[in-house]
Amino acid sequence: MNGIRSRNEKIKKSTGSFVTAPKMEEKEMGKKILLVDDEEGIRKVLGISLSDMGYDVVTAENGEEALSIFKEISPPIVLTDIKMPGMDGVTLLRTIKEVSPDTEVIMITGHGDMDLAIKSLKYEATDFVVKPINDDVLEIALKRAHERINMRQQIKDYTENLETMVKEQSARLIEVERLAAVGQAIEGLSSAIWNFAGGYEGGIQYFNEMPCLVAIHNSDLKIVATNQLYRERLGDRVGGDSCEIFGKKTSGQSECSVEKTFRTGKGQRSQEKIKYLSGEEVPVIVHTAPIRSKDNKIELVLEISADATEVKRLREELEATRQRHKQLFDEAPCYITVQDKNFNVTAANRRFKEDFGDDTGLKCFEIYKQRQTTCPNCPVEKTFKDGKSHQSEMVVTSKTGEQINVLIWTAPIKNAAGEITQVMEMSTNITQIRKLEDHLSSLGLLIGSISHGIKGLLTGLDGGMYLVESGFSKENREQVKEGWDIVKLVVSRIRNMVLDILYYAKHRDLKWEQVNVLSFAEDVAFTIEPKIRIQNIELIREFDPSMGEFEVDPGIVRSALINILENAIDACTEDKSKRPHKITFGVMQDKNHIIFDVYDNGTGMDKETRENLFTLFFSSKGNKGTGLGLFISNRIIQQHGGVIRVDTAPGKGSHFRIMLPKFLSESLKAPHLDDENASADNL
Amino acid sequence: MAKKILVIDDDPIIVKYLVSLLNDNGYETCTADDGVRGYEVLKKEKPDLITLDLQMAEEWGTNFYRRISKNKEFKDIPVIVISGMAGRHLSIKNAVAYLSKPFDPDKLLGILKSTIG
Repeated sequence: MNGIRSRNEKIKKSTGSFVTAPKMEEKEMGKKILLVDDEEGIRKVLGISLSDMGYDVVTAENGEEALSIFKEISPPIVLTDIKMPGMDGVTLLRTIKEVSPDTEVIMITGHGDMDLAIKSLKYEATDFVVKPINDDVLEIALKRAHERINMRQQIKDYTENLETMVKEQSARLIEVERLAAVGQAIEGLSSAIWNFAGGYEGGIQYFNEMPCLVAIHNSDLKIVATNQLYRERLGDRVGGDSCEIFGKKTSGQSECSVEKTFRTGKGQRSQEKIKYLSGEEVPVIVHTAPIRSKDNKIELVLEISADATEVKRLREELEATRQRHKQLFDEAPCYITVQDKNFNVTAANRRFKEDFGDDTGLKCFEIYKQRQTTCPNCPVEKTFKDGKSHQSEMVVTSKTGEQINVLIWTAPIKNAAGEITQVMEMSTNITQIRKLEDHLSSLGLLIGSISHGIKGLLTGLDGGMYLVESGFSKENREQVKEGWDIVKLVVSRIRNMVLDILYYAKHRDLKWEQVNVLSFAEDVAFTIEPKIRIQNIELIREFDPSMGEFEVDPGIVRSALINILENAIDACTEDKSKRPHKITFGVMQDKNHIIFDVYDNGTGMDKETRENLFTLFFSSKGNKGTGLGLFISNRIIQQHGGVIRVDTAPGKGSHFRIMLPKFLSESLKAPHLDDENASADNL
Repeated sequence: MAKKILVIDDDPIIVKYLVSLLNDNGYETCTADDGVRGYEVLKKEKPDLITLDLQMAEEWGTNFYRRISKNKEFKDIPVIVISGMAGRHLSIKNAVAYLSKPFDPDKLLGILKSTIG
């Protein structure tokens, strides 16, 4: 006995000391981070920084090792070098995102890795930090990762709450309906009693569970049995007068229902008032039914009284719950559909109908994705299989063709037997968040790359000024000129860069006006001509003189066209084959468009350059390009509702075709402040 | 004999600037526009000191630094980092100085004087 007791005490003690343990563990779990870099120095120093920030750091020196550690400890955040021997950072990122899409992966990149960095953003890297790593930048990146983790958790909690709410409400709904049904079922029940065999004492026990007052009367108009609720509310009245509780005499002008039933042999239904033991007076609906003996004589009468206030309250509650349920369904800030096993949408909420049409009966993937088969990793399919909730993120297309990023959450709907008959799918529109994230990412890229660029330019400016100064003191005119040329070059680069940044940083409404096409084209050609001539390139104008006016923001479209023409000049000067170079600048029209053409017979572009042409920070010009020019030109044309098409091949030269609508749509003309712009202004 | 300095930077304007500044102050120079070519020049010219940019288009300055610090012949050549990046880089521990662009030419000359005379 003693031994056992002391062991029990030990157990008690140890449980006591564990009380705080799970909390600590949870906290540490959230701060776990996997650091992957092939350079030992970086692993060491960065490891120390991360530990200082409170992380539990696990390191790996290559992608393969990282992956096996990842599978073991599944850290919420992974920090990985982008360039590593063997499996590189991007492949690691992709593999991790496949296994666990919620993991936040931050890329460590070098200066020359911009393409890889942009590529990794496409594979949903959270962020990237540029080497050498600045602790502040790293902390911001980590903070973002945590914010994303929290946001995802919040959305998850929110949808889960919604799910529980719907579940609870449905359960209540079923309960309420059941209760209400009891009231309505009484009539049918009492007719079933007609053939009820056996003594009343035995019979009455069936009514004990019923939420009604039940009594059985004999032909002497005496109560012979009552159910439990009757006893509780009205006391033990067995042997008492049948009609007493209704405040009426057994004989008199107006007979009570029981009496009438004996007389007429027919079931009665009436509304009465009765007084409970508690003194409370309540309206009741009274149903009576005769119970006949084998020789068809009325032997007994069954009386069932339902508390009318209760029935009314239940009805109201049913209605209110239905209303709430409907409201919840319709007003929830997400698309809700209910789908059967074949993915047919059997019900959908208002938001879904607004954005995707109300053709219920179509299949989920037909409506959301315009496909003929289920999507890979379909969460609804998974829920049908395992009965659990599943999550997934997808891009779907609305009926107006708009691309919407949605976070999908599914929940099973079971029938009474516990089988999953349908699945509810809730999709939250996170397009704005994604857009904002994209903007933030490219802004982060921009800031990173320009701060380095600007430092280089400022050093160049110092250099130019030094050459001028030292040239003067040595009376070396050559060097003064050289220095001055550098100053001019650097100043013009800084100017272009600042203008690019100003354009990128702020979304502007179009300052449109009616402009004569021909004079607009002449003006562009006039501006660019000196730059073309000085490179010994011929400029050919091909202007259709029959064109009238078009609606355009002349300032920005002019700079977009000049940018494209400047690229043509660069393509010609890069081309060292001796042929004479020429640039053709043409403008013509079709029914709805003004079409500008820029042909050059310069170097032309390979497929990769062509594909990345309009990508932010893509530049094939080394130090000369900011990687912003064509990106912005493209944005300007798109903002007008126009398109740029490019036809090019190495050695063949390039053809840029810029198509602008003659008339801007009304929505482009009106100054607008949608969410995206507002947030861009806040940045 | 004049001391020789190897200038590694991928921006020709900055190379020109450093070369003029150093020549005007009595140093000889040789140049390279990335780490790989820098290593070739290093073997040929045997400079007394190296100024090194870190973020370069072709190859990172850190790679160049790693390569020379593993080589017995070159590991004692002093390196001055001149880079646009803020803060001291983790991989370059033994640089004699770390100048951030745009740098102060007098400070650079001062460091040169105290390092190689």
